[in-house]
Amino acid sequence: MNIIACVKQVPDTEAQIKVKADGSGIEEGQIKWVMNPYDEFGVEEALKLKEKNGGEVTVVSVGPARAMETIRTALAMGADKGVHICDPAFDSADAFVVANALAAVIKTLPHDIIFCGQRAIDDDSGQVGAMLAEALGLPQLTLVTKLDFAGTSVKVIRPIEGAQLLIETALPCVVTCQKGLNEPRYASLPGIMKAKKKPVDVKDAAAVGIATDAKAKVAKTVPPPARPPGKIICGDEPAQKAAELGRLLREEAKAI
Amino acid sequence: MKEHEFYVGLEGREVFWNIPLPISEVFLFSLTFIALAIFGYGIYRRWNMWKAIGKPEMRLDDMGRRVKTVLTELFLQKKVLKDPYPGVIHGLIFFGFFVLIFGAAFDAGQHHITEPLFGWTFLKGNFYLIFSFLLDLFGLFVIIGVVLALDRRFVKKPDRLGYKGKMDNTPDDVIVLLLIGVICVTGFIVEALRIHVTNPPWEVWSFVGWLLAQTFTGIAIDTARTLHQVSWWVHALIALGFIAYIPYSRLLHIITTPANHFLQSHKPTGYIEPIRDFENAEAFGVGKLDEFTWKQIFDSDACTRCGRCQDGCPAYLTGKPLSPKKMVQDIKTYWLENAPAAVAAKKAELEASGEAAKQNVFMRGLNKVDSVVDKAVLSFKGDKAPAEKALVGEVVDLHELWACTNCMYCMEHCSASIEHVPKIIDMRRYKVLTEADFAPELQLTCRNMENNSNPWGVGAHMRGDWAKELGIKTLAEDPSVEYLFYVGCSGSFDDRGKKISIALAKILQEAGVSFGILGNEEGCCGDSAMRAGNEYLFQALAQTNIDAMNGYGVKKIIAICPHGYNALKKDYPNFGGNFEVYHHTEIIAKLIADGKIRLTQPLSGTFVYHDSCFLGRYNNVYDQPRQILKAIPGLQLVEMERSFDKSFCCGAGGARMWMEEDIGERINNARTKQAIAVKADTIAVGCPFCLTMMSDGIKDQQMSETMQAWDIAELVVKAMGKEEIKPPVDACAV
Repeated sequence: MNIIACVKQVPDTEAQIKVKADGSGIEEGQIKWVMNPYDEFGVEEALKLKEKNGGEVTVVSVGPARAMETIRTALAMGADKGVHICDPAFDSADAFVVANALAAVIKTLPHDIIFCGQRAIDDDSGQVGAMLAEALGLPQLTLVTKLDFAGTSVKVIRPIEGAQLLIETALPCVVTCQKGLNEPRYASLPGIMKAKKKPVDVKDAAAVGIATDAKAKVAKTVPPPARPPGKIICGDEPAQKAAELGRLLREEAKAI
Repeated sequence: MKEHEFYVGLEGREVFWNIPLPISEVFLFSLTFIALAIFGYGIYRRWNMWKAIGKPEMRLDDMGRRVKTVLTELFLQKKVLKDPYPGVIHGLIFFGFFVLIFGAAFDAGQHHITEPLFGWTFLKGNFYLIFSFLLDLFGLFVIIGVVLALDRRFVKKPDRLGYKGKMDNTPDDVIVLLLIGVICVTGFIVEALRIHVTNPPWEVWSFVGWLLAQTFTGIAIDTARTLHQVSWWVHALIALGFIAYIPYSRLLHIITTPANHFLQSHKPTGYIEPIRDFENAEAFGVGKLDEFTWKQIFDSDACTRCGRCQDGCPAYLTGKPLSPKKMVQDIKTYWLENAPAAVAAKKAELEASGEAAKQNVFMRGLNKVDSVVDKAVLSFKGDKAPAEKALVGEVVDLHELWACTNCMYCMEHCSASIEHVPKIIDMRRYKVLTEADFAPELQLTCRNMENNSNPWGVGAHMRGDWAKELGIKTLAEDPSVEYLFYVGCSGSFDDRGKKISIALAKILQEAGVSFGILGNEEGCCGDSAMRAGNEYLFQALAQTNIDAMNGYGVKKIIAICPHGYNALKKDYPNFGGNFEVYHHTEIIAKLIADGKIRLTQPLSGTFVYHDSCFLGRYNNVYDQPRQILKAIPGLQLVEMERSFDKSFCCGAGGARMWMEEDIGERINNARTKQAIAVKADTIAVGCPFCLTMMSDGIKDQQMSETMQAWDIAELVVKAMGKEEIKPPVDACAV
């Protein structure tokens, strides 16, 4: 079976994000880059499917040169080969461009099932998986927390508020992965060593052959406003303090 | 020679008295030859087994020191006597037997060498009297030792001679003790019968034999002569049987244990040999028996099952399945199961290569004997192939493997110089590096160390935040400082640990010590990664630190965490980091001694010092923390039962800090109870991991109202009167 896992390189969740002085983005110098945690679930699920049913896992990523590390991480976990879509033309790509780029590459590869993270933790847009399915004309199963493979179809569980949906679809399809789907594995050292020698196909914009004009453009990046300090309600009587709390919640915070 | 030929002034005795020569002598010689042949053949077979499995390892450097170690371990019984009661029992038997063997050698030497060749006899006169007295005394020692040993093994039954309440006595244990006992008892009977018949007055010096002879008064001389001959032969046969039995029984430790002392590592305590080639290896660590070095396997053949290791193992004592003794014995059993096939394979290899044909007659003869013995063993035991078992996971259970805190108690107290901890780390390396199969929480810890260079996973950019506004320079600001203060992860990220860093910084500033920190250029020391078996991660972390340190030309380092202290001191030199590394208690003790800081503020209460394993057993820093506490006025210092080199681990070493502890009692609670038992109200520690563990233990034991845990540096700041006393914050007053 041919399995595709799409991965994105993002800043580590603990990394200190500093906005560039001119608002054109973030300072990248000190950042530790990691694989998007939701994409890790996708890679892990792909590997589990491969281990059970045989086949091949291909990781595909859109990103600058440094994104190669993330592809190697997936290869170290056990994926077989990679495609790195790397071109300065994609530097200002939005979800639409990324989804189209992925789709253009995946069309050229045999694919039975495609995994994406449900969203990336950097821009939190959550659109690429869905757009990719549309671009490929495939069914999409989003926010999946459980996946059962049944030969030519998959059954998945997708939690919604207060309930779970059990969805079944024929392959091929696109699955976006939510926390709870699995526990991504720790790469073994032989895996890390082998990953260095696995093939990664680097494609520039011309090779991908799609328009790289973003539909959405980032006008400016600004840091979130500093949080106002907390307020301590003073007074001698608890009843008096409670009344003051109620008043503030109603009038200032407009919470009640 | 007749009895009346002895008289006062010619003290001595006839060797082989009452034994008809030369026929007995010929018979005895033949038997001795057979016994020695059986002994030699047993050692030869064992030798082949030692050689058959395991990677090569050289342990023959520094011969002078090795010889000295064996001699002190043998003749001073240094490690054996570390535990006095069983140590003395062993000493009685060992020294007793040793003197008796010398005695027998003197007898034989006079009778077969000096007298026939040079006509020289020396077993006479005063020398004979002293000789007789000593031999009887040490013979008596052996018998006392054997009785006490039997009493210990079968009546007292200490837990350590078993596992979880089940004694691991084997028939061999009894046979060996009885053999030794019977040799001595029959020796005394032989002597007593001789005295009874010949009755020379000076034999009162052979006091045991002489006293025994007094009970024989009713025995007729002729009967006594016959009895003497019988018991003489019984004595001789058992003694020869003993020699022949050595390689096939626990007596083999007479050879393997001293050999293991001789072969012991001369690296610093707790040193772990790094993996030096990641690029070309297919597997990492030890997953199969033959991935151990031969020496690591040989260790298990030196184990006497004495259980000293188990007696202080924090994992075992809190109900985990790990017992260092059991692990070593399990490896030994597994090796014994697999060795015959490995020996056969080596032989077949020799045949195939044509080398076997070039062997001399003697070796070819031995090979023939081997095949006969192999067949006999096979028909006796049946043709059972050893069950297919995985070394890691089956022979050594994973719960055993991961329960180890690397506290080094087992290795410190092993009377056979067995090296348990490196084996455990090698097997962990296999699980972590080769299989990537280990506890999820430890995987998270590793990822955190990878991504943010600390086990908690706090953003790496926050490492230096604790030092802000304290006037501490980074090396980037001033690389000319005398000391680098290597803060470590606890001191940088853990709220409790940061207070230790601040306290030490205050002390150093007060004493005028020139120091700086690396700030955000510092990284995790990697100790937890290494001891978890993640050598790859450890080396990456170590290299980053070493590059930063060497970049600033760092020479001297102070660490507040014994884990970093130990790693920087002993493991970093492998990767080009050669520094003088000090623990803060070493520095503070020196500052106090030099009068650079004054402890004027009395602290009241009963203090107990908990030895951190990585400070105490690993680095012999036992005295400095206690010197510091003694220099603080007011407090009363007490000791827990388990302290100094017998200290009980807090439970956080060996990467256990980052793992769930779900079997048995929590180790930190067990240790806290030991502090409660000596009525301490303050547990002083020198390690941030210990501090966390003791603080948690105090909470768990619901002692928070009356008991606290502090790092020595914090106590020193208090005693200097430098602790800032902050008034309680009143937000409404602002």
